[in-house]
Amino acid sequence: MQAATENRRWSKEYPELGTGPVPAESCISPEYFELERERVFRRTWLNVGRVDDVPNAGDFFVRELAVCKTSILVIRGKDGVIRGFHNVCSHRSNKLVWEERGTCRGALACHFHSWGYNAQGQLTGVPDEENFHDLDKSKLGLSPVTTDVWEGFIFVHLGPQPQETLIDYLGGVAEQFKGATFHKRRLTHTYKVEEQANWKVALDAQNEAYHLPFQHRYSFPGMFVLKDNRYLRLSGVKLYNHHAVWSTTYNSESTPTPTGALMNQLNTATTNSRLPMLGDFDFFVIFPNFVILQFRGIEDDYYMTYNFWPLAVNRCIWEIKFHFPPAETAGQRLSQEYLKHRICDVLQEDAVAHETLQTGLNSRAKTHLILQDDEIQIRHFHTVLEDYMGFFNGRGH
Amino acid sequence: MAEVPLPEPFQSLEPFSAWALATERERRAKRLSSSMEEIQAFYDALFPQLEAVVAYLDQFPLDQLPAEAQPLYYLTLSLVEVTSAVELYHNPHIFEAIEPTRFRRVE
Ligand code: FES
Ligand SMILES: [Fe+2]
Repeated sequence: MQAATENRRWSKEYPELGTGPVPAESCISPEYFELERERVFRRTWLNVGRVDDVPNAGDFFVRELAVCKTSILVIRGKDGVIRGFHNVCSHRSNKLVWEERGTCRGALACHFHSWGYNAQGQLTGVPDEENFHDLDKSKLGLSPVTTDVWEGFIFVHLGPQPQETLIDYLGGVAEQFKGATFHKRRLTHTYKVEEQANWKVALDAQNEAYHLPFQHRYSFPGMFVLKDNRYLRLSGVKLYNHHAVWSTTYNSESTPTPTGALMNQLNTATTNSRLPMLGDFDFFVIFPNFVILQFRGIEDDYYMTYNFWPLAVNRCIWEIKFHFPPAETAGQRLSQEYLKHRICDVLQEDAVAHETLQTGLNSRAKTHLILQDDEIQIRHFHTVLEDYMGFFNGRGH
Repeated sequence: MAEVPLPEPFQSLEPFSAWALATERERRAKRLSSSMEEIQAFYDALFPQLEAVVAYLDQFPLDQLPAEAQPLYYLTLSLVEVTSAVELYHNPHIFEAIEPTRFRRVE
């Protein structure tokens, strides 16, 4: 794709989004945050993991969803089906599983009175069962949560009746990734950062390339300054119903560091199956809080994911995962460690910005965010958000 | 960690065996607790041999590295850990970054 040269290109393509400032209140208002729990996080499909997290029958993981005030147990049954349940015992609602992940061999036993459940969520054991009144075990399994899998990504929906199936909800994104070989890459590194920032402040700060040449001037000098595109204008923007993707190109001529040059030679692990990329770097925001980042590598592509988990109006967890082609040799692995290391430097700079942005917003010195054309994906995100929230009702943007 | 001597051609790296650390958390802690002089000395010793070290390691499948190759592999991972400190920042720390322990590797 060619670097953009035309000014204000995307707003011409998406005039319905307008060009005005976006209200900042959504990132600082406790009232807004309380409404978000219901209006956003219980009305959308949320990515909670990947099939790789539960490869075998009985494997499970627990996802604490503070924003929905619940804990979710995702477990692969003996029948191979991945199911989600509220992680709550049917007896007197004790939290059932306390580990972050594990394997159910036989039964999951509640810590309080040891009611036991199998990997399909059925209640199988009740100590001193004869002393209960009319107990029907078949009706007292774990409470299911709507769960579905798309291209290996596990999603849950906490609403009573999802309005759309997962695939309909993903819409054009699902089409874009049809047959993408995510499963050929392996989860190699996971990071978690707890931040003093609203989840959207963190997401918005990642959701653009405008800052790259400036905020990351130490960690990637020269990389984001292209001769014919010195402000790293986006090479592509696609806005979907709820979701969005933007793409950039890299400066392939920027001189690698000595280690970087050697690592480029070692970077030969391959799946023989590239990812369906739009640019050299693609950033897909899957509403509300999931991101897939695709990177064009030398011999093969790799991808990362982010999940931004709200904890409170000004606190969130930024979860970061790297997925590389399987490395067979130390050299291949090392080149991946190198890429990961350089990216992590950048992310540690990013995390600072998330908190300094939040500090500035909290001061209420400014009421709005001012967005340029290459930040249109942030405008789109806040428009989709307002569609769900109906908070500003026509005032503000 | 257990003292396994480095393979013959790489015994000059023996003074840096404290950098042979198995986990990212340990390697990061080592970088952050070392002076730039110590980091530079480690880099200067290993980097010129890095290609040879990798060629040696790459004789084996990654999941079947022999015991004497393991510390050597960890040394290369530590080299990656210090590469930006040496080649970019000239400082063990990233300049405008959050407190490093807050960026938590889940292993
Ligand atoms: S609350 Fe779980 S067994 Fe009693
Ligand atoms: Fe950034």
